[in-house]
Amino acid sequence: MFQKTLYARPQHRSFRAALAGLMRNPLVTNKKSRLGLIILLPILALAAIAPILPIQAPLETNLFASLEKPSIFHPFGTDKMGRDIFSRTLAGIKVSLIVGLSVAAIALGMGLLLGTLAGFFGGLIDRVVMTVVDIFLAFPSLLLAIGLVAILGTGLIPVILAISLADVPRFIRLQRSLVLSLRTRAFIDAARTVQASQFWMVTRHIVPNTLAPMLVAASIAAANAILIEASLSFLGLGIMPPEPSLGNVIRDGQLYLEHAWWISTLPGVVILLIAVSLHFLSDGVRELLDPRSRK
Amino acid sequence: MIDYSLKKLVQLVITTFGVVTLVFFTLRLIPGDAASAMAGDTLSGDALEALREQMGLNEPLFRQYLDYLSSLARFDLGETITTRIPISELLLKAVPITMTIAVSTIVLTVLIAIPLGTLAAFMAHKGRKTLDNFLTGTAMILDLMPSFWTALVFLLLFSLTLGWFPASGMVSWDDPWALMQRIALPVLVLSVTQVATMARITRTSVLEILSEDYVRTARSMGWSELRVLFRHALKNAALPIVTVIGLSFGNLLNGTVIVEFIFTVPGVGNLLITGINSRDYQMVQTLIVFYALLFVTINFATDLVYRSLDPRVKF
Repeated sequence: MFQKTLYARPQHRSFRAALAGLMRNPLVTNKKSRLGLIILLPILALAAIAPILPIQAPLETNLFASLEKPSIFHPFGTDKMGRDIFSRTLAGIKVSLIVGLSVAAIALGMGLLLGTLAGFFGGLIDRVVMTVVDIFLAFPSLLLAIGLVAILGTGLIPVILAISLADVPRFIRLQRSLVLSLRTRAFIDAARTVQASQFWMVTRHIVPNTLAPMLVAASIAAANAILIEASLSFLGLGIMPPEPSLGNVIRDGQLYLEHAWWISTLPGVVILLIAVSLHFLSDGVRELLDPRSRK
Repeated sequence: MIDYSLKKLVQLVITTFGVVTLVFFTLRLIPGDAASAMAGDTLSGDALEALREQMGLNEPLFRQYLDYLSSLARFDLGETITTRIPISELLLKAVPITMTIAVSTIVLTVLIAIPLGTLAAFMAHKGRKTLDNFLTGTAMILDLMPSFWTALVFLLLFSLTLGWFPASGMVSWDDPWALMQRIALPVLVLSVTQVATMARITRTSVLEILSEDYVRTARSMGWSELRVLFRHALKNAALPIVTVIGLSFGNLLNGTVIVEFIFTVPGVGNLLITGINSRDYQMVQTLIVFYALLFVTINFATDLVYRSLDPRVKF
């Protein structure tokens, strides 16, 4: 009885208690990541509930409502074919997020794998991997992505692959440098003296200690991937219309810049907000993970 | 210094070779082959075969590779697929325009960013946080604005609404004044992003130096704040700033493609987009290699400048 009152948690936490718990989450208590979440979450929520919002479908045209100014019915206005820019923007956000997350995941995975191999084992693997990395780093990122899209073709999957390929070398290099600095630390020597296997050292000692900086890099890579996808689509090399993406909606509006400013400008503000929020989030995560910068 | 330069030069040659090889073999990976990709649905049977023959695609792969290397060494870059103009001729016309944009951007960026960054650092050092926060916040937002969006907003604002800059017209070195007017807006757009990056780096490095012991010593000797700033802070901050100029050159090249496309400036970036849209793989191959080599060379130069600026590095 006594034990129970001490340790048992209430079966049903009230909503208020749950909220209070959430408010104590480090991501919420940290100023920067909180600001990031405050910007990002409403955008995500809007994109998620877009199908049930009372707005025109992203591909639906209405020639009677061509190039209409922003209003209550069309918060971002309409384009030449009378498509609702707001609803196309929300659909574009979904594409952006898919690209951002996929690129971050691919770059993180490949970076962890090849960077650890190169850094931990050294020798021939290291030389081969780093030579290839150096060659890839010789291309400015957007230009490499443009070249790859020219080969792979347009569409969602080629775009994700092209941006990832441009990002992977950076992650390999980061992971390798992290592994190299960890390899000489005392706890690795300690593991070696108790005859830990290499697999054990890599999975239990090396990789967990590199995860924090790699995750921070991944969240910045996600923001950059979103910007690059938008640029590719804007150049007509990414997601192809009529499928909406933030980049090609802005491209659509370029012709009507003078008469319908809202088509190109408003979706751009959304890209900017997403990129800014991801940067705040990664700044916050960096502070949370790095004990030195904690106040 | 000579030893180091030679070592770096060898590295440069190896990377160059790697770039050329990588681009060559990647383009041969296109499903089908370059000829059918290029022709699309327009050619078939004998005509397609003739195109293959003409592009040398029927030769063994390794032979094609050697041919490509030898023609590169002779600066024979091939012809465009539709209009049969030598690509080297197009490049010679486009490169000066792109380089004018790039160099003007760097100059403008340095002129704005370094005073701004120094000011922010100085304010932060004096504990006047508001101005510093404002400057760093603005820099971050400017840095993250997608350049094509900034370009459109500027076009709308300065060109279409205010009419300060012409939105169309000739761009060539034959008429420098018209050229300047036309590239002013592209340069401005590119500078916005570059200024943000460089001001941030300047701020960080100047701030670091302002808390060094020798700065305190200089102050205690009665040096004025300005003299401290110029003689100590800026001189020592020059190193990271040079590095950033070199490193951000890649971003700058990315940016030139986009602004050239939007402002219809006939530079290298516009050639690239045209090449991709007309499926001219010879041209795409040449231009991507060109960009990579330019980028690698700039990095090489940055490295050497860095080394020669830093008296601590002994050779």
